[in-house]
Amino acid sequence: MTREWWKHLVLVLGAIVVLAPFYMMVSYSFKSPGEIDRGEGGFFGRQETMIDPRCVALRQPGRAEIEDASSRFPGQDDADVQAALLAETENDCSMRPVVFNYTKAFTEAPLLRYLLNGVIVTVSIFLIQVVVALPAAYALAKLRFWGRETVFGLVLFCLLIPVHAIALPLYIMLAKLGLTNTYAALIVPWTISVFGIFLMRQFFMTVPDDLIDAARMDGMSEFAIVWRVMLPTAIPALLAFAIFSIVAHWNDYFWPRIVVTGNRDLFTPPLGLREFKGDGDGSFFGPMMATATVIVTPLIVVFLIAQRRFVEGITLSGMK
Amino acid sequence: MADLQITSVTKRFGETPVLNGVTLDIADSEFVSLVGPSGCGKSTLLRVIAGLETPDSGAVSIGGANVTTTRAADRNLSMVFQSYALYPHLTVAENIAVPLRMRQLTHLQRMPLIGGLLPGARGHRQSIAAAVNAATEMLEIKSLLDRKPGQLSGGQRQRVALARALVRDPAAFLLDEPLSNLDAKLRVQTRAEIAELHRRLNATFIYVTHDQVEAMTMSDRIAVMMGGEILQCATPEVIYEDPDDIRVAEFIGSPKINILPIERVGHQLQIFGRPLEWRLPPGSPQIMQLGLRPEMVHLTKRTPRLRGRVAHVENLGAEVFAHVMVDDGAMRVTLRASPAEQSMLVLGAEVGLGFNTRAAMIFDADGKRLRKIETMVGTAVEVA
Repeated sequence: MTREWWKHLVLVLGAIVVLAPFYMMVSYSFKSPGEIDRGEGGFFGRQETMIDPRCVALRQPGRAEIEDASSRFPGQDDADVQAALLAETENDCSMRPVVFNYTKAFTEAPLLRYLLNGVIVTVSIFLIQVVVALPAAYALAKLRFWGRETVFGLVLFCLLIPVHAIALPLYIMLAKLGLTNTYAALIVPWTISVFGIFLMRQFFMTVPDDLIDAARMDGMSEFAIVWRVMLPTAIPALLAFAIFSIVAHWNDYFWPRIVVTGNRDLFTPPLGLREFKGDGDGSFFGPMMATATVIVTPLIVVFLIAQRRFVEGITLSGMK
Repeated sequence: MADLQITSVTKRFGETPVLNGVTLDIADSEFVSLVGPSGCGKSTLLRVIAGLETPDSGAVSIGGANVTTTRAADRNLSMVFQSYALYPHLTVAENIAVPLRMRQLTHLQRMPLIGGLLPGARGHRQSIAAAVNAATEMLEIKSLLDRKPGQLSGGQRQRVALARALVRDPAAFLLDEPLSNLDAKLRVQTRAEIAELHRRLNATFIYVTHDQVEAMTMSDRIAVMMGGEILQCATPEVIYEDPDDIRVAEFIGSPKINILPIERVGHQLQIFGRPLEWRLPPGSPQIMQLGLRPEMVHLTKRTPRLRGRVAHVENLGAEVFAHVMVDDGAMRVTLRASPAEQSMLVLGAEVGLGFNTRAAMIFDADGKRLRKIETMVGTAVEVA
């Protein structure tokens, strides 16, 4: 205990640094704009009913409405009717900050559509990555062919290339093919994951050769071995790769921002955050943080479910 | 079931030659063991037969058809691996069914869900289930069908691996040291079971082992391999009693055969400077080696051929092995004695040793057997 305390101290400090932004995000998603601006209200805010100024502004009673409503308020002049209508509107537009933030998150922008796009893009990327990476990794790990080491060297080399360095040429290629503003533009550049090939190759190296020879003796073709023997034994490693891949592409802001220029139907969740970036009239931090919370929740839930196997995969515990 | 021919097969890994022109004919329903020390190429030879390695030259044919370039999957052979190599994600029943599923069902029929709906799949599935049942019954592992390999003991895994091999009706069974991961007791038991299985199936078995006892007890013929060559391939009796090569004689037999240097001086044969009464034909080599199995050496008081001091005694109950230092302690001779003779075998005591010249084997300096000289020596003794 006495000798271990400083390790725990370091870990606790690290955890605070990592968790602080999440704390802010969730806290802001609960608070009213005033509380956010003034930095008060603790974690949950006071949750006093607030009036949505934009809602009121949009429903300002006009001349026609005052005339229509005058029958409801007999014996009152127009100013009184207007005041009464305004009070009704304010009543309609008042709500708790948390309700305000989260309803805004879903109504101001088609967040569900963005979430669906996110699922389509990340799942497609992951599936195609697996279809490419598993046979490639199997060949690099278990088949003997001329130039294997060179090819593996190229894989390692590709690991060193930052995405941003090739973003522009990729964009130009996609633009020339007329693929910008399509799902293909969001998916195709990521379908070959050298990291996936590398990770799976390292895992396959730990699979005993006898198992593959037994599969050959049992009448399997090389592709059957990949899908029927290697894939099931590699589930932990595949899960680790799935987390890396899905987190990276679900959270990616950079690439969708480049290739999806106009069509909001193709926005992925991180692009949805832009909806609340009020350029001139200040940002809507409450709804923005509510959106951010909605976006990260699926990832955190998936990670918690897969946590145990994920750690197994990272440590590449292999077989036996 | 089929016969196999291996013709002048060579194989090298990089610069290292592993097989140097191996030729071996295996008859239908024969049990042949490939035995030798580790690194002698026996496993590589088995893998060449299986189709898991391609030979650099030479040919392999099964049932008269040349299969040298045929894929392993298409050779119709079954193999049991030293590590058992069971699929860790499948249950025992599924593991055993794999060879049949891969061969009898089409791609579509193997698909989950829709596979079961296709015409013909049902009948195939039933026949596969029946074959799996028969195999598990033969190996008495019916109670394990729903378990995963990770939940089985070594002996159980070994049985599942055997069942997976014999669920089909292959041209031959290839077994690569299947017993080496079992404990000693289980090994003896499984040894007998495999031999019995061979008799029952009447199939061709090729069995790789480094354990001479396994080879001796199970095989119709033993091929002793060393340095990428087959030194001798014959029945266990011939391998033991009449080896062609000193390396075969030394590898087979426990305790190891005694090899003593003998020298020709004129027409006389000398051992450790003492003359033996044999007379040699002219033209025999100067230096030779005498091979004596421990059971050929006996204790004697009258006119011993060798004298030495007892250095170590091992009492195994039914028999006693004694190590006697001869030639002033420079050479060690092992002999087998009966328990009755144990009183003579006191540590440090001087004993006289005799041996039957008819049973003795003579090898030249390079280890090749000199049968011609042996017969002449034999007659010479009769004359003397």
